[in-house]
Amino acid sequence: MSLLSKIVTWARIKSPWIIHFNTGACNACDIEIVASLTPRFDIERFGILLKGTPRHADVLVCSGPVTRQIKDRLIRVYEQMPEPKFVVAVGTCSCSGGVFQGCYNVKGGIDTVIPVSAYIPGCPASPAAIIDGVAKLLGSLQGKKPGEKADIEAIVPKPLEAEMANNG
Amino acid sequence: MAKVTIPIGPQHPALKEPECFIVTLDGERISHMDMRLGYNHRGVEKACEARTYVQDIYLIERVCGICSHSHSTCFVQAVEEIAGLQIPPRATYIRTLVAELERIHSHLLWLGVAGHEIGFDTLLMYTWRDREAVMDIFAALTGNRVNYGMNTLGGVRRDFTKEQLAEVLKVVDICEERTKYYIEVCTQEPTLINRLTGVGTLSHEDAMRLGTVGPTGRASAVDKDVRRDDPYLAYKDLSFKVIIDNHNDVFGRAVVRVLELMESYKLIREIIAKMPDGPVTVKAPRKIQAGEAFSRYEAPRGEDTHYVKANGTDKPERVRVRAPTMANLQSVAKMLENNNLADVPIAIAAIDPCFSCTDRMIGIRRGRGTGNSMRWDDLRNYGVKWYRKQGIDFTDLNRKLAKKQE
Amino acid sequence: MANEEAIKKELTDKFPFLADKIVIKRERRLFADVGQDHFREVFEHAAKKMDFVHLCIITGLDDGDNLLFIYHMARMDGTVLNVKTTAPKSNPVIKTITDIFPGGVIYERELVDLLGAKVEGLPPGKRYPLPDDWPANQYPLRKDWNPDMLEGKDGRKEEVKNG
Repeated sequence: MSLLSKIVTWARIKSPWIIHFNTGACNACDIEIVASLTPRFDIERFGILLKGTPRHADVLVCSGPVTRQIKDRLIRVYEQMPEPKFVVAVGTCSCSGGVFQGCYNVKGGIDTVIPVSAYIPGCPASPAAIIDGVAKLLGSLQGKKPGEKADIEAIVPKPLEAEMANNG
Repeated sequence: MAKVTIPIGPQHPALKEPECFIVTLDGERISHMDMRLGYNHRGVEKACEARTYVQDIYLIERVCGICSHSHSTCFVQAVEEIAGLQIPPRATYIRTLVAELERIHSHLLWLGVAGHEIGFDTLLMYTWRDREAVMDIFAALTGNRVNYGMNTLGGVRRDFTKEQLAEVLKVVDICEERTKYYIEVCTQEPTLINRLTGVGTLSHEDAMRLGTVGPTGRASAVDKDVRRDDPYLAYKDLSFKVIIDNHNDVFGRAVVRVLELMESYKLIREIIAKMPDGPVTVKAPRKIQAGEAFSRYEAPRGEDTHYVKANGTDKPERVRVRAPTMANLQSVAKMLENNNLADVPIAIAAIDPCFSCTDRMIGIRRGRGTGNSMRWDDLRNYGVKWYRKQGIDFTDLNRKLAKKQE
Repeated sequence: MANEEAIKKELTDKFPFLADKIVIKRERRLFADVGQDHFREVFEHAAKKMDFVHLCIITGLDDGDNLLFIYHMARMDGTVLNVKTTAPKSNPVIKTITDIFPGGVIYERELVDLLGAKVEGLPPGKRYPLPDDWPANQYPLRKDWNPDMLEGKDGRKEEVKNG
């Protein structure tokens, strides 16, 4: 199997688990991330689960500009994640530092410290924007062009028995 | 019994890093607690000095994403006082309306978070779903779900139409209906009462001594509410009750917040009924004359204070912000004395700290130095299981609530 | 403004040196300028004998050659008495008030970290709010400090190791 097919299969079976990390944000984006789990938006229909440990996570969802105190921790969390891993910067602050650019305790956006796969701007990024951004990230895993959304049907986790029967 | 020290902080299990809370246990009971804070320190006060007053309104709004309007209004009030600006009455009423709507969304958010911390997840899902109705109203009125950007120097940036205000009343009716149901659940479900009573106790004397504010203080009979004591915005023309409770514990803090929700619904109806016509802004100078002002505001979490010093230029000389959580954090150590480890998540959540403060991990060091780590989620699960063994279990209540909503 | 006048009168009667140092800005707001020598007695009197039982916050500012400290004290009726005192930058020593207001410890720590004040009698504890690796003698809230003074500390982008 080519690397790309491996990733697609992985995405279809495993369903991405995310770890949410706040790097000094005002909490607006964090609330919107949690709101995307609640009934109105329900991100779990993508098979996305919010996990507490980086060791089991596929996607690191970051909010907030990087403060000096949190920088090393952010790097360690990123290093603890197994490959393949992706980083989503949620909110203007994680994209570029936002209103806190130039503040003495702020380094800047997330990409000043770790590589970022997807940027979701907004102050705060609304749950709809977060879902849109995640769908586009998953789309890139399916080999679609940057900015194209994933084919959701392909992502919905199938029952394990059916999957095993399909793969023979 | 050997003492065990448990650091609770935003650290990764593999690292030794500065912790947020260091809890010393004597068996299961907490004998002492230390605090190490500052993870969200961004240097906002210094940044304010390098930006104009209008730019600062937007910066200050983002000190906290849940009570953004509180910070922005408290700040702009101080600047308007120094400049001697009289803002139009309609602007005052609009600011007050947004303030009370913010209180509603914040308390509903808290109810959900508190439910989550004790294993009552259905409450999280329902209150946050109800909260979405308020978020929709914010988006319709102000253009954004959070960080509304309503304030400007001299008034507000948007006016509301009669139709929009009618929509607000509809949302208030729905939320009031739902809140009555939550009050029933909070005050009558034995599981909830047993879980929250006696947890995180803070005596009235300690609460006064430690400067506790907001619902946390009012649950220990600290009769402080800036809206009544030091009226600002439209509050001197409005009638409302200050909710005081003397349970002194987390249960009291929950009761105070749900009853405050009811008061806010009444307030919003009164604000809309009394809203005067007229302009919504006056022209404000770019340079603010030298002077100083101390502004106070009753944010959902408690008293918020802003001190502003102006020096005749278009940038402030000094801005000093004190968010309510900072005043209440002092009392967390006292509250947790003689509580169980299992009570830590809900006791900390009950002062309603900013969400990021509760995003933590725990490192457990046993007496002989052997390391073991737990995450906040694991401590929360530990708490839920520990109480299940004592007979306090939310599984049935979760199911019952879910059934009722179908 | 009978209430505010009464407060002013009580303070100037008890402390004659405050005669022209108290300003009533508006209803419920008084500002008092007190030198270091008499600060403690005025503060204690206000806290214990005049019912200013709530310390809202302590503001520290850079005032040229001096550091200025404002203690914002509130009463249950909403009146705020803002007590100002100074200390020279060459010897920025003030005494703690945590014996009267234990909750004030975090505000005093902030004065130490951000302005370089020295607070006599401050209980031992972890610093707030700056990180442990903050360089010594750099006080962000002083007017002669700017963020460029931190350059070179971690200028290079961190190499991230994968795996």
